[in-house]
Amino acid sequence: MIMRIKVLLSLLFLFCILSPCAAEEKPAPLKMNTRLKEELALARSPALYFIFDLGGKNISLRSRGMVLQKWNIESLRSWGGQPPLEILTVIKKSALFAPKRKEIKPGEADEQGDKFELDALELKDMPSSYAFYIDKGIYLYFRPKPRRFFSRVANIGHIFVWYLWIPLRNLTFEAKRKPFRAIEVRLGSREDCQSIYWSFSEGIKGLFFSP
Amino acid sequence: MKKKKILLLSLAILFALFIVLEIIAYILAWPRTLREGLLPPEKPGRKTSVARIQAENLSLQKKIQGLSPKGIHIVIDSGRNILHLKKGNETILQAVISCGSGSILEEPGGKRKWIFDTPRGEFYVKSKITDPTWVKPDWAFIEEGKEVPKNQQERLEEGVLGDYALGFGSGYFIHGTLYTRLLGRSVTHGCIRVGDKDLKAIYRASSVGTKIYIY
Repeated sequence: MIMRIKVLLSLLFLFCILSPCAAEEKPAPLKMNTRLKEELALARSPALYFIFDLGGKNISLRSRGMVLQKWNIESLRSWGGQPPLEILTVIKKSALFAPKRKEIKPGEADEQGDKFELDALELKDMPSSYAFYIDKGIYLYFRPKPRRFFSRVANIGHIFVWYLWIPLRNLTFEAKRKPFRAIEVRLGSREDCQSIYWSFSEGIKGLFFSP
Repeated sequence: MKKKKILLLSLAILFALFIVLEIIAYILAWPRTLREGLLPPEKPGRKTSVARIQAENLSLQKKIQGLSPKGIHIVIDSGRNILHLKKGNETILQAVISCGSGSILEEPGGKRKWIFDTPRGEFYVKSKITDPTWVKPDWAFIEEGKEVPKNQQERLEEGVLGDYALGFGSGYFIHGTLYTRLLGRSVTHGCIRVGDKDLKAIYRASSVGTKIYIY
């Protein structure tokens, strides 16, 4: 019995190790054509939009075809099919420690010489580990590369979530015949993650592109 | 002893069930490429068709590039509180600014509520004003715990917006500040505060219609 469990655990470990990432290859002209047509539709509107380039390993925030900011992706891993090449919307941003807006109490002036206290929501207050729920059943998990002790410990917890909980979650979605795709994005720094959380507001539209 | 055996056996069955479920889940969730059905298949033999698509791609790329601003425009990074004055792809000025604090103010009695965010997206300069006078909105009085005046003259405050202001709609301005030590921090009620020297350069370079991109 113990031997069988050991074999099963080894198999599970092998599955974890072999989990593939997005491959880099040259995009096919037809796929590129679809991407450009969709991007042109986005660029014609005054709203900001994003391009998530899975092959080029970068995320860009754009307006009218102009790149406002670009973030490089350190690593990617996924469960389920690739996102469809069509305009998608960030429906919800979700974080364990979501930033909270500060409430101003009338009559308490906030700019008073030496007693000044800043009542603001800034980039540094944004979470560095969070998820975006995008339509068509896409769950996008953002995490910085773990560098400090606590982030390494938290990362162990996330490994369990990624390899045990998310495949099971996919199973429940399959049972309901609903699409499910999970993508984990690791960025080089905590600041990059915070910057994406800041820049992407709920409702922003964009494209996922893979070669 | 028997109870212990039953418990161990139940645990083993549960664990085995969990492993089976995980294996099924792994098989179903295994990363796969986009189902080809979503795109029409490409025919490698038909060169003319591929060439046509490539030509169309070039034209689409030009169309997208054609939408981006060519002349003077302003790009504002509200997270890092930085403004870029650009001409095409070239940055001609970079300034440290202050954007919206993101704070909330609720009128006592809960009738009205304000969120002090700097709006995001594409805007354009709608007005250019020298020596601007601030027409204090209702929230400014409510924030100070004062009564909102009925007389318009009581709303006017001079010298707080610096020497120049560029209006970009809905009461939002790029203007100067008395609180230069706070440049680089998110402290405003949605407007964009700029230091005197940078403000002068931005004012001179831009005209009504200059595009502003805020993210």
